[in-house]
Amino acid sequence: MAVIEGALVYSNLLALLSIGLTITYITTGVPNFAQGTMAVFGSYVSLTLWLLFGVHPYHTIPVSFILGGILGIAIYTVVLRPMIQKEAMIVILMIATLAVDLILLGALGAYSETLGVISGKGTRKFIFTPMDFKILGADAILVISSLAILMLLFTLFLLLYKTKFGIALRASMENPALAEIMGVNVEYTRIFSWFLSGSLAAVAGTLLPFRQEIVPATGAIIIVSIFAASIVGGLSSIYGALAGGYIIGMSESMVTFYLSKVIGPYILVYSKVISLIVLIIALIVAPSGIAGLEIWRKRVWRKSSSS
Amino acid sequence: MLRAEKLSAGYKELHILFEINANVERKKITTVVGPNGSGKSTFLKSIFGLTTIHSGRVIYNDKDVTLTPPHERTKMGIAYLPQVDNVFTNLTVEENLKIAGYTLDNGEYKDRKDLALDVFPELEYRMNQKAGTLSGGERQFLAIATALIRRAELLMLDEPTAMLSPKFANTIFDKILELKDRLGLTILLVEQNVKKALEISDNAYLLISGRVAFEGKAEELLDHEKFEQLCIGI
Ligand SMILES: Nc1ncnc2c1ncn2[C@@H]1O[C@H](COP(=O)(O)OP(=O)(O)OP(=O)(O)O)[C@@H](O)[C@H]1O
Ligand SMILES: [Mg+2]
Repeated sequence: MAVIEGALVYSNLLALLSIGLTITYITTGVPNFAQGTMAVFGSYVSLTLWLLFGVHPYHTIPVSFILGGILGIAIYTVVLRPMIQKEAMIVILMIATLAVDLILLGALGAYSETLGVISGKGTRKFIFTPMDFKILGADAILVISSLAILMLLFTLFLLLYKTKFGIALRASMENPALAEIMGVNVEYTRIFSWFLSGSLAAVAGTLLPFRQEIVPATGAIIIVSIFAASIVGGLSSIYGALAGGYIIGMSESMVTFYLSKVIGPYILVYSKVISLIVLIIALIVAPSGIAGLEIWRKRVWRKSSSS
Repeated sequence: MLRAEKLSAGYKELHILFEINANVERKKITTVVGPNGSGKSTFLKSIFGLTTIHSGRVIYNDKDVTLTPPHERTKMGIAYLPQVDNVFTNLTVEENLKIAGYTLDNGEYKDRKDLALDVFPELEYRMNQKAGTLSGGERQFLAIATALIRRAELLMLDEPTAMLSPKFANTIFDKILELKDRLGLTILLVEQNVKKALEISDNAYLLISGRVAFEGKAEELLDHEKFEQLCIGI
């Protein structure tokens, strides 16, 4: 795959992930460190359907979407919501998501062993690249990941600006206490945001093996880039997260590629360092991220936020 | 229409209100005055279910609503306008109105919106403007308009004239009177603009350190021999 194409695919997927992370951060105030492993969950959903039923991974996207969404809701309602209701501090919530990440990682590890036994194939590492094909001369993954982003943006736009539920969602993001006063059941909007975040992560996970090899621990590595992208985006707007995804995705891929030419291929191992350097530079230039360039203030949760 | 019975409330373990007995009569304006920090906002929030109730009850239309969640109270016709942040600044005026009609079906929403715009025609020209860019007075108009759309029967306003010029404040008082006379709304008002507020009010409560220090007709409080004295703290 050509370098630019690869970088674009990676950025598309990163944008899906950072948009999901940002949405749940805005609505529930949780910095979700399990987002990367939630993506790998999607990779395994697709792998399973491929190995056991011969379904091409691209056709598994809807299943991945739904199961990922259910996983998102489960993580929120079972683990995080009870803590939030007891007004847990953000550090506690963060550590809770790390715990969720470890549990998921363990579960995926055990599952991949079992799947290997059932299917009689090695599943500890896998890649879908050999199954990819060409659409109009381009790798299908480039077309499909770009379409995924475009469809997401289009649907989100329609949802957020043209439907009543979407307006309620934006209202709850800005001022949950006031939304509640207006008769919006804010809890629904929170559950919805975790569904969406989980399903976007799983879809990204279905597509990721077309670009790189997956192991259960892949999530723990890409989470660095997801956070970098979300923070560069300002953690407060969907468009910020989108831009952050491309800034981090492109620079991580391109810079490592050129460095590997100049210095040697061993530099590839350190590609996440590039994300972090870009993150630091971006924060020096725009301290509250891209979205911070616009005025934005809001506080999550506190019911009594209004005087 | 609304009664607080021996209501003690606050924030978590913090006690702010002590055994408040209050009665809000239907189609009347009831005003709560008191020094800063005396618990006026806390009183409105408690009636709407946004605080910790330590003891006592809130009765609305003969139903005990002490434990009813806020969004349910909205459906029952109670509207509460917070002192600050009472509109969504990132949403347009039109979207703010729409969200206010969240629990209504389309036809009814249209009727309520027409009614709200009839009372506040100033908003008509600003429908696509973000609420964050409205002037302070226009913002209060929008906030009250959202309450009208919510089919409010009981309208609770927390200092709607704070930080407005005297001229705009008077306009707001006129509108409040109009809401009562023309639409038959019941209004529970918290005000720092004591004289003006009592002039348009029927009943009044004076709150000091979380306790009721006076209750009666608004003009009684205005004429109260100790009124000037009471006002010193306000
Ligand atoms: N969310 C909160 N958490 C803890 N304490 C609070 C909270 N909100 C208000 N208080 C405290 O409750 C007391 C009463 O506050 P309240 O806002 O009800 O007063 P107020 O009469 O409305 O004052 P003002 O005229 O300044 O608006 C104050 O001492 C305040 O510090
Ligand atoms: Mg107050």
